[in-house]
Formats: sequence, structure tokens, C-alpha cells
Amino acid sequence: MSATATLPSTTMTRRRSPFMRKTFPYLLVLPAVLYLLLITLYPGIYAVYRSLYTGKFKLEWTGMSNYQQLLTDEQFLNSIWNTLLLGSITLALEFVIAMTLAALVYRDPWVKGFRIIFLLPMLLMPSAVAFIWKLMFNDGRIISDLLKRLGFIDYNVDWMISVPLARFVVIFTDVWQWTPFLFIIFVAGLQGLDKEVEEAARLDGASWWSMFFNISLPMLRPIIAIALILRGIDILNMFTPVQVITQGTPAGATETLGFYIQRLAFDKVDHGYASAASVLVLIVTVILAQVLVRRFFRSGTES
Amino acid sequence: MKTKRSIAGTIILLSWAVVSIWPIFYFATIALRPRVEIIAPDPIYWPTFTTETWQKIWDEWPMVQYFLNSMGAVAGSVVICLVLGIPAAYSLARYRYKGREDIGNYILSTKMMAPAVVAIPLFVLFAQFRMLDTVWALMLVYAALNLSLVVWIIRSYMIDIPHEIEDAARTDGASDLRILWEIIIPMCLPGIITAAVIAAIFGMNEFFLTLIIGRKEAFTMSIALANFKGGSDGIIYNAIALVAFMAFFPVLLLVVAIQNHLSRGLTMGAVKG
Repeated sequence: MSATATLPSTTMTRRRSPFMRKTFPYLLVLPAVLYLLLITLYPGIYAVYRSLYTGKFKLEWTGMSNYQQLLTDEQFLNSIWNTLLLGSITLALEFVIAMTLAALVYRDPWVKGFRIIFLLPMLLMPSAVAFIWKLMFNDGRIISDLLKRLGFIDYNVDWMISVPLARFVVIFTDVWQWTPFLFIIFVAGLQGLDKEVEEAARLDGASWWSMFFNISLPMLRPIIAIALILRGIDILNMFTPVQVITQGTPAGATETLGFYIQRLAFDKVDHGYASAASVLVLIVTVILAQVLVRRFFRSGTES
Repeated sequence: MKTKRSIAGTIILLSWAVVSIWPIFYFATIALRPRVEIIAPDPIYWPTFTTETWQKIWDEWPMVQYFLNSMGAVAGSVVICLVLGIPAAYSLARYRYKGREDIGNYILSTKMMAPAVVAIPLFVLFAQFRMLDTVWALMLVYAALNLSLVVWIIRSYMIDIPHEIEDAARTDGASDLRILWEIIIPMCLPGIITAAVIAAIFGMNEFFLTLIIGRKEAFTMSIALANFKGGSDGIIYNAIALVAFMAFFPVLLLVVAIQNHLSRGLTMGAVKG
């Protein structure tokens, strides 16, 4: 170890050997790292190992055949497609709605008082939210009833038999609950921008629109990137509304990757095959994490 | 902006507020309504309240147990996160050493781990240690899910503390650990509380891995919801609503308490606001 523990200024370390001084910061961070390794590295290795075997109790070596099978498995490919499709629509909707709301309130002196109203959906458990909308759309027929009263339709809609409608319900559930997450971040970000820049632009005769799009939004870019990454990770793992509301129906149109792996592993009890799927996810995750963490996160959180 | 919001803007805000609040209110009434009203062919909006269903729910399911399981697993996981996370955050915020950047990046990147990837190995691991269906297993899992964010939130608050105070203490001969305990921790208490609250909420919300670990004994509120089915009765929405709000109110209190730190916490320190 050639590292030197240069403390910011004075290095008064009485009663402590140079060796101890060097290792001390490592000792502080070590328990957390070990814990995370145990819970991420170990499962990663286990999944790779398990993906090379087949069978439920007696394991049989199969080499790469699980992977070969996966890459031509239509259900697997379908679940990836669904995850990307539903995920990108969800993220885009959440971004647009949250940014619109944030732009409307960020200079409002009362915003600290009423913002909690906009946060409420986020404070319910996701499983509870999924049941709220299961009741609203399906079991209680409330959305149908409201649409009938408004004169848009004249019969109850079955939201679960049509591909676009079922997908809409899943997307809606996530958007309803998690738009507040982006909203609160955008409000704080916009409030943190320099008021004087806005004032100057306004005095120069810039319209609110051009001021917002040409000055505020570009300045907010690092924060937008971080917020969208955090939300995006969650959306890629979307599971709860699918499990509670649609179970992947109709015909796998709402089956996300998380739901698919879970179904393989715990309904079909095919751990080898499911492990192979999760290893592929793991590889993508590791690459994605490296890029995202280094490119956006560090630069954004470094002060 | 000193300009008044346009009428269109006000309408957008009000309608989103209604869309946010009304379903929650409606669901809150569900907890107290007779079953026939909930699944009537046409929805009944004006509720008649009864406590009859409550009695049935409390008799039939161990509601208190669900609550205590959630609270126990979440509280335990927050303690683990803080015990491991505060020293780690201190190390990342205050020392310069080889590999610091990489260690920080690694801790952060675990946040991106897909739960689906760890599900099977954790299931097998806990099965080997006979820990499936225990609150202990949930505690360990929630702690792992939240540790990265706890470290990064607290680190961000620690960086903001001026060095001078520590330097003064150090010249007086205080050890590093004493400085951490007596100066740093008290000074970044808002950050520690924020991290704890956010970790608690995410723990409370966890569904996917809880569903895999919890079978019967270790049912938390989050997964108990999915199990309120009574044969011919179908899904028992009264019980679901009741549990949903048992979890909602503590979370609401916590969030109101840390409101001003919420966005900073949710972005792991990136937004100071």
C-alpha cells in the first residue's frame, strides 16, 4: 500500500502508528463493502454457476444450453421488449408531467405548504397503489363508470382483454405513483437556480417560454440526468403492478423482465434457466451501472 | 417569477391534485364500508360506514403481526445501514486514499442491481441457513438494498461540514473516532435522519424480494395485501385498504418531518434544496 492518508490539514495523530494511519480509512469503509459484496457478488457468482446446470434437485451439467435456449425463447425476448416499451413510455410521461407541474409551482411562495399534496401517492406502498388501481379499473369498475357519466362510453370497459388497455393500466399505475418523485426533485432543482439570471432574461424581454427552455432547462441538466437514471432503474425492475393487476396478461403483453424471471424461478421452479436469464440481466446492469455512475452520477454529486 | 400563473396552469395543477388525492380518499373509505358496496355492479360513491368488516378482518388475520413484522424488519435494517454506513460515509468524505473513488463507485453501483438477479441466489442462501420466512432475512435484505443510498446521502452532508472545526479538535488531541462521534455525527444529524427515513420508506415498500422470502410467518404489510383473498369472497379490499393506511400514516409523518431534505435525500445528495 503506497497510499498516504493525508488528512486535510494538520496530521496530529498521536498514539497511532503510521500503518494504522494508512489503514484506518479502509477499516471504516470495509464493513459496508463486505456486506454489499456478500449480497451482490455472491449472488452474481451463484447465478453464473447455477445457470450452467439444469434440474430441480439433482443438478445436471448442461453448459451453455440454457443460454442458447434463452436467446431464442420468445417469451424472454417478449419480456425484454415489454420492459423497454412500457418503461420508456412510463419514464417519458412521468418526466413531462413532473416538469410541467414543477415549472408551474417553483416560484410560488406557497409551494412549501402545498407540495405535500402532490407527494401523497408516493407515500403509499406500491402494492397498495396497485390494488387501488386494480379496484378502480377492474373490480370496482369506477373508471368505466366515470367515463360513462362523462359520456365517453356507454358500456363497461374490460381493461384486461385488450393489449393497449392492459398496458395503459400498468403504465398509469406507475405514473400516478412516481411522478411525485421527479416532481419534488425538479422543484428543488429549479428553486436552486439563480433568480437573477431569470430576472435579467426577463428584463431583456425574453418570454417565459424561451427563458425556461433556453436557460433554466439546460442549467438543470445534471439534476434531470440523475433523477431520470434513478427512476429509470426502478422502472426497468417494474414488478409490483404487473404481479398485482395483470399477471402479464393478456397473452404476455404486460409481462416485464422482472415478472418473467420470477415466474420461471418460483412458479415453474426452473432455477437453472431463470439464473441464465438473470445473468444476462446482470451483465447489462454492470455495464450500464459503470457508464451511468461514472458519466453522470459522480459529476453531479461531486461538490 | 412575479408573473401570475395563467388560468391554464392553475387548471393543470388543480386537476393533478384531484387525480392524486381523490383515489386515496376513496380507498380510505373502502376500509370502513360493507363489502356489497365495494363490488356493486355500479360504483356507490356515498359510503355508508360500518365497523362490522373491521371485526371480521381483525379476527381472521394477524394484522398486528403484519405491522410488527414490517416495523421490526425496517427498524433493524435502518440500524444495520447506519452502523455500516456512517463510518463508510466518513471514510469517503474525509480521507484521501488509493482506491477511494472506486470504492465509492462500487457502493453506488449496487443501487443499480436488479432484484430479479439476486432473487434466486438469496432464496437458496436463506434456505440453507434456514432463514426463509424470517424477519431477520428481510432485515438483511432491506439493509443491503438501502446501504448504498444511506452512505451517499450521509457522505454528501459530511462534505459540507467545514474542516476547521475538526482541525481544532485534532490539535487538541482528539482521536479520529472521537471526532466522528462527537463532532461529525451531531453536525450532520439532519443528513443521518434523512437517510434513515428514506431507507425506512423503501424498506416498508419492498415487495418483490419480500414476496420471495416471506411465506407465512414473516408476512409484512407490503405483501400481506396480496393475500387478502377469501375463497368465494374474492379479494377483500377492506382489509387491503386498512393495511395500506396502517403503513401510510407513519410514512406520512416521517416525510412531513424531513420535507425540506427530501429531494436531497432522494437524489443521494445531488440536489441541495
